[in-house]
Amino acid sequence: MRLLRLSLRTLRREWHLPELRTLGASLVLAVVALGVVATLATRIERGMLASAAELIGGDAGLSAPQRLPDHYAEAARRHDLAISRSAVFPSVAFAHGQSQLLDVQASDGAYPLRGTLQLRDARGDRAGRAPAAGQVYLDHRALVALGLKLGERVQLGGRDLVIASELLRQPDGGELFALAPRAMMSIADAEQAGLLSVGSRARHQLLVAGDAGDVRRWREEAAAAPLPQGAQPISPEQAQERMRSSFDRASAFLRLTALLSALLAGVAIALAAQRYARRKTNEVALLRALGTPRRQVLGLLLGTLVALALPAVALGAGLALLLAQGAWLLASQLFSSIPTPMPLLPVGAAAAMGTAVLLGFALPPLARLGEVPPVAVFRASMARRVRRFDALYLLPATVALALIWSQSGSLQLAGILAVSLAGVAALAALLAAALLWLARRVAPGAHPALRLGLAALARRRGMSLLQATALSLGLVALLLLAIVAPALLDGWRRELPADTPNWFVLNLQDDQRVDFSRAVAGLGARELNMLPLAVGKLTAINGRPIDALQFQDERAKDWADRQLRISWAGALPPSNKVVAGRWAGERPAEAEVSVDTMWRDMFALKLGDTLHFDIGEGGLDARVGSVRQVDWRSFRVNFFLLLDPAHAAQLPHTWIASFYLPRGHADALARLARDYANLSLIDVDALLDQIRAIVDRVGNAVRWVLGFSLLAGALVLAAALAASAAERRHEAALLRTLGARRGQLRLAAACEFALLGLVAGLTAALGAGGAGWWLARTVFRIEGFVPPVLPLLGAALAAAVVVMLLGLAGTRRVVRTPPMQLLRAS
Amino acid sequence: MNAPSHLNAEPILDARDVSKSVRGPEGQLDILRGVSLAVREGESFAIVGASGSGKTTLLGLLAGLDTPSAGSVRLDGHALEALDEEARADVRRRLVGFVFQSFHLLPALRAEENVMLPLELEGRSDARERARAALDAVGLTPRRRHYPAQLSGGEQQRVAIARAFVHGPRLLFADEPTGNLDQRTGQHVADLLFALNRDRQTTLVLVTHDPKLAARCTRQVELQQGSVLRTGAERAVSA
Ligand SMILES: Nc1ncnc2c1ncn2[C@@H]1O[C@H](COP(=O)(O)OP(=O)(O)O)[C@@H](O)[C@H]1O
Ligand SMILES: [Mg+2]
Repeated sequence: MRLLRLSLRTLRREWHLPELRTLGASLVLAVVALGVVATLATRIERGMLASAAELIGGDAGLSAPQRLPDHYAEAARRHDLAISRSAVFPSVAFAHGQSQLLDVQASDGAYPLRGTLQLRDARGDRAGRAPAAGQVYLDHRALVALGLKLGERVQLGGRDLVIASELLRQPDGGELFALAPRAMMSIADAEQAGLLSVGSRARHQLLVAGDAGDVRRWREEAAAAPLPQGAQPISPEQAQERMRSSFDRASAFLRLTALLSALLAGVAIALAAQRYARRKTNEVALLRALGTPRRQVLGLLLGTLVALALPAVALGAGLALLLAQGAWLLASQLFSSIPTPMPLLPVGAAAAMGTAVLLGFALPPLARLGEVPPVAVFRASMARRVRRFDALYLLPATVALALIWSQSGSLQLAGILAVSLAGVAALAALLAAALLWLARRVAPGAHPALRLGLAALARRRGMSLLQATALSLGLVALLLLAIVAPALLDGWRRELPADTPNWFVLNLQDDQRVDFSRAVAGLGARELNMLPLAVGKLTAINGRPIDALQFQDERAKDWADRQLRISWAGALPPSNKVVAGRWAGERPAEAEVSVDTMWRDMFALKLGDTLHFDIGEGGLDARVGSVRQVDWRSFRVNFFLLLDPAHAAQLPHTWIASFYLPRGHADALARLARDYANLSLIDVDALLDQIRAIVDRVGNAVRWVLGFSLLAGALVLAAALAASAAERRHEAALLRTLGARRGQLRLAAACEFALLGLVAGLTAALGAGGAGWWLARTVFRIEGFVPPVLPLLGAALAAAVVVMLLGLAGTRRVVRTPPMQLLRAS
Repeated sequence: MNAPSHLNAEPILDARDVSKSVRGPEGQLDILRGVSLAVREGESFAIVGASGSGKTTLLGLLAGLDTPSAGSVRLDGHALEALDEEARADVRRRLVGFVFQSFHLLPALRAEENVMLPLELEGRSDARERARAALDAVGLTPRRRHYPAQLSGGEQQRVAIARAFVHGPRLLFADEPTGNLDQRTGQHVADLLFALNRDRQTTLVLVTHDPKLAARCTRQVELQQGSVLRTGAERAVSA
């Protein structure tokens, strides 16, 4: 209690000290930076999750091969959630004496709870709800296949339904390869028609939507008890593999951004604490000489720190919330339709992390004050005993590592960052030391201003090293964020090039290939690619029937039951990489199969294992000759299983074609398709649009968060420069007394800071380039990412200029120091 | 040596009715009130008085480190109060050297480099040679490559003296130059200052509260609460 009062009094008395204010300001800044970034990141992540919800038509749900028990819906109602029921099943439609197998979705009037169902009718394009009883929506392919127009009737499940609208797009979980044309009808009709009775092939789903907390509680409740046979949860997170990898990368970017701001703040706090400790040395020596026990001295220092931290953290948290809200309001057009409440947890976490940073980075220099011997009152030099190694200095490193780890959520990311930052620090220290050495060499012959600047750097050897390192670290963060992150984003966007195949054609027969190729080429199609496709089942591994085998991996059973798509090729397809074994080539001695890594893991396969497939009437034994890693994010047609062409060519198969057709030719293609009644045409433009929109959204979001970190970084850089202000003032006063002109001081300062900036800039450019390259390869897995060398070098030079200007601005007052101060200083 | 040239010459330093006040927490505080004095070239002039009497403030005004609130200071014919800080810096660089009670050497520079500073500010190319000569004159040639922390207080003050006269100033201002030194070392430092005064005709303006040191000067003025209490009589320069 007494200590607290004493601490408060100390704080009040010392509040005028610039170090203490810097310490407070750095802490506020740290909390604001961490808080704003974390809040925005969380909110944007939620926004993105919400846009994923648009893809599945609700915030969460369940799907099952039979009607879901009512208690799930009741639980949802209890939690104030909106509910929608659907069922999907294949069914044959009849019209004008023609028949067509359709993928039918039957939904209630609430569908979709999230996202939009896009329809086209006589009134034009509009968003709508599932059809009323007696009505049906058909997609373009269904209309073409059955030769129908809006307003006409179609028979579906024995019911006569009026075609009310053309189905343009629906929240479908991003399902890329819906094989058949689609229809949507009312769930009431489907029930009455007996389409959903027990034993039907329908898959039922229950979607819910509402407040995020309620949804989470419903999901937890649903997950608490075992799900019904065959039931699976539906969540935005698992909406679709390709989407998910986009989200993962987006949140990695965001976390990275927040993390770097935190480290910048730590550097600023360390600098301020060091200044404060230096200032307090005499006072502590005096207290010790007067008989104050060491424990009490440390207690007082810690108490003062805490007294400072509490209001600073509170202020920072408040500011962070305000700024985050403001930024959100400005940026919210990104996620216009999606309400996301302000999350409070991130700011709380930011406050805790800010405190950890303060303690971690401020304690070491302050704790060393406890070692100031009482005799230091007589001889100040006694207080500055330098110890070679101090375990205390592991503290900030530990805090930094813990922060990196907690923020990145990935050991790999944390490791890369930690190593990069440590490398940068070492490189900066090395470069700065080399520069100082050089300074001593070239100084005698140099221009007086340069010489004074070099001398100034050399005079503050320790401080110069520290500043160069801090500046480098700050600049690495800035460059990573400002140049490398956008370049990474760009590389990511380039993975969806403009002429990515946007049409897929299934069911092409051997004798149609040539004609069809010619026909679509005539329409202006490019990048035409055809692959054989056989459908079969895996029935045995190494001669043992698959049903008799047990697998650890739960997915294995499911895949063993499925009809598999199998293809073959003589050359390894692009975006495939052999990770084990050897690619079979055109004609190996015996039948070979190349499996994807997921398959290897799922069925615990080894090279040389024999797989037996039932395909059509016959079968095939194939030896596992290689394991492939497939980049599933690429928009190519890829297969888990690839046979060798020599042994597979005789299997019953059709062809799957992919090509790029410029927009606006869809009608011509639809006309063409009438001549090939057996073909299924799939337009993925809509899906590609969705993915591009998401990539753009994420890009914008990252840029927003980035702006805040840049600001935080710039402020921290200024704080680092302020660290040597007192020393500079003394020096300036002395030089002024000796008759130095202001211009001379200014030129010297300009040289000094330009050199400092150059060291920091070059180090940072190297560090950021290296870290970016490393991140691209390992974390973001962007192929062929080349660090933007010229922008980085340009930024290094710009950094030198900015640091020079900042330094000059910072020394403007120093240059004006009245020389009289020297006579007053002891 | 010729007869002292200063006896009839115009004073090199002439302060008329100099006052200095500052705004303190309890309103205006008068530090100096109407101080007048004249120092002739080649003189050694002591400013004495109790602590807090305004000696340092006066020295700062005489050397052009600060400007008076009222009155005028002429240094070698320059009216300091009419010059801006930049012009006063020019005057200081050309005409003035300083020695401080707490030495004020730059800790990261070697002795020799500290002495070179005033010459470098003038952009002279012979800075190193002249700095060595100056260090030689104060007997520190063997220590020229040492850093201040490696030198004793007396040695540091000798380096400071070398720095003060290396560029050949007409005036040397010293604020309690022996205040931080023991008696014998202080004596040695004082000897150096007076030797410079004598051998190079460098006018010496010395602030001290040591009567013995003041007594070695040709003239002295005593301050009391910002006013001149008395001006000591001129004394023949004794060898
Ligand atoms: N900038 C200032 N603000 C307030 N008081 C000052 C200032 N400068 C000097 N003083 C006061 O003026 C008086 C004379 O100071 P100083 O010239 O340093 O005395 P001396 O050198 O004789 O000990 C002292 O009382 C001192 O506290
Ligand atoms: Mg004084």
